[in-house]
Amino acid sequence: MIVVENLHKRYSTPHGPRWVLRDLSITFPRDRNVALLGRNGAGKSTLMRLMAGTDTADRGRVERRCRVSWPIGHARGVQRTMTGRQNARFICRLYGFEAEVKERLEFINGFAELGDAFDQAVETYSAGMRARLSFALTFAFDFDMYLIDEGMAVGDAAFRRKASRAFKERAGRSAMVLVSHSASLVRDLCQAAVVLDDGKARWFDSVDEALRVLGMDE
Amino acid sequence: MAAAPRRLRTPLEVTLAVWRALFLREAVARVSKERLAWLWLLLEPIGHIAILVVIRVVIRQRVIAGADAVLFYVLGVLAFFMPRNMILRSFDAVAQSSQLYAHRQIKPVDAVLVRAAIEGLVSALLFAIMLGGLALLGTDVAPDDPMRVLAALGALWLAGLGLGLINSVIGELLPDVGRMLRVLLTPLYILSGVMYPTVIVPHPLRDWLLYNPLLHAVEALRAAWMRGYRVPAEISLSYTMAFAIVAVFLGLALQVRFRTRLIAQ
Repeated sequence: MIVVENLHKRYSTPHGPRWVLRDLSITFPRDRNVALLGRNGAGKSTLMRLMAGTDTADRGRVERRCRVSWPIGHARGVQRTMTGRQNARFICRLYGFEAEVKERLEFINGFAELGDAFDQAVETYSAGMRARLSFALTFAFDFDMYLIDEGMAVGDAAFRRKASRAFKERAGRSAMVLVSHSASLVRDLCQAAVVLDDGKARWFDSVDEALRVLGMDE
Repeated sequence: MAAAPRRLRTPLEVTLAVWRALFLREAVARVSKERLAWLWLLLEPIGHIAILVVIRVVIRQRVIAGADAVLFYVLGVLAFFMPRNMILRSFDAVAQSSQLYAHRQIKPVDAVLVRAAIEGLVSALLFAIMLGGLALLGTDVAPDDPMRVLAALGALWLAGLGLGLINSVIGELLPDVGRMLRVLLTPLYILSGVMYPTVIVPHPLRDWLLYNPLLHAVEALRAAWMRGYRVPAEISLSYTMAFAIVAVFLGLALQVRFRTRLIAQ
């Protein structure tokens, strides 16, 4: 699970500092998929970055008590000038799977369905292809928790189904924190929700209730 | 893929995995970015040496300050090119890997350290190739004081690393200043004693030149390699070493101080 305690984060703007997160405390458990909801600018992506450990808080702390993935979505964590295969190898090495590169590469190529494009530079990919590569890369390694930032929105319907199925297969073994503006996707995948508002977080045991509070349930 | 639960890696193991992965990635990029990039790697220093040697041969001077003229230029150019390339490639080191900071294991400083290691390796290869070539042409290329040669090369690498660490922060946060510093590398080439021995420089000017720490290491390298080579008494490898250590610590401090901003940009 990921424990967030008294987290403060501000960004400096020309009009002085703007607090995005103020004294936020919340625990993301490992036994449930949690939707992270909130209006634009509520700090969802900021919180995801802080949980992933790629940004530093101004006060408070984040404790990752399990293996947490990098934030997935928008082809982050992937080098654009390298090919899909080079990226896959790179990430295998980075996460200590050097010994099993071959199987992992096979899995990644199979899951992403990139075909020949797997050996071309990522910058030539379409948005959907990039999303497929990102997901394949994360599914190739068993993380305890996956952080997914909008990544599911891209990609066609067939791939979205495939990614959803892969997550459901992992239920019980791993959990995810999902940022999404799609109410149907959130209902389909998540069992609980956290709503960010005014720098604070509220926990909801019911996804429907959270969506109703935000007016996303029509 | 129900793998057995894995042992968590220690911080040291993670760091080594990061360096290894980045090193292999950067090494491939260094030789495959442009067509014939690997050839250019070799041709650039050879070009510099060839021009300098041709000029000398035209005025028929085979001995410079008591040393073989060709070896004098080869050592000067190769010695200077190591820190120069490290500085040159540090400006965009942080930005080039920006997409990778989504992995919390990778920090901007890793990208700079890995590039420094690669440039060191490239330099070692260039030394081996050039001196091997010279030996085949019949020049005596064996260093007279190998330990001091290694010390001089180590000092140059460390100085390049320190300046590279500092420049990587400047290049990312103050791109305009970075561009200016890049231009200053050309005068540095002239001021580092690559094309002339320090002993021929007249006195008021020489005293100023001797503030340049790279000059000390370049001259110390030649003096260690060729026993007959004359250098001023002021040449001191410790000076370069002290400069390099201060630069490395300053560079690391800057990396720590601006770690959040380096990632955010």
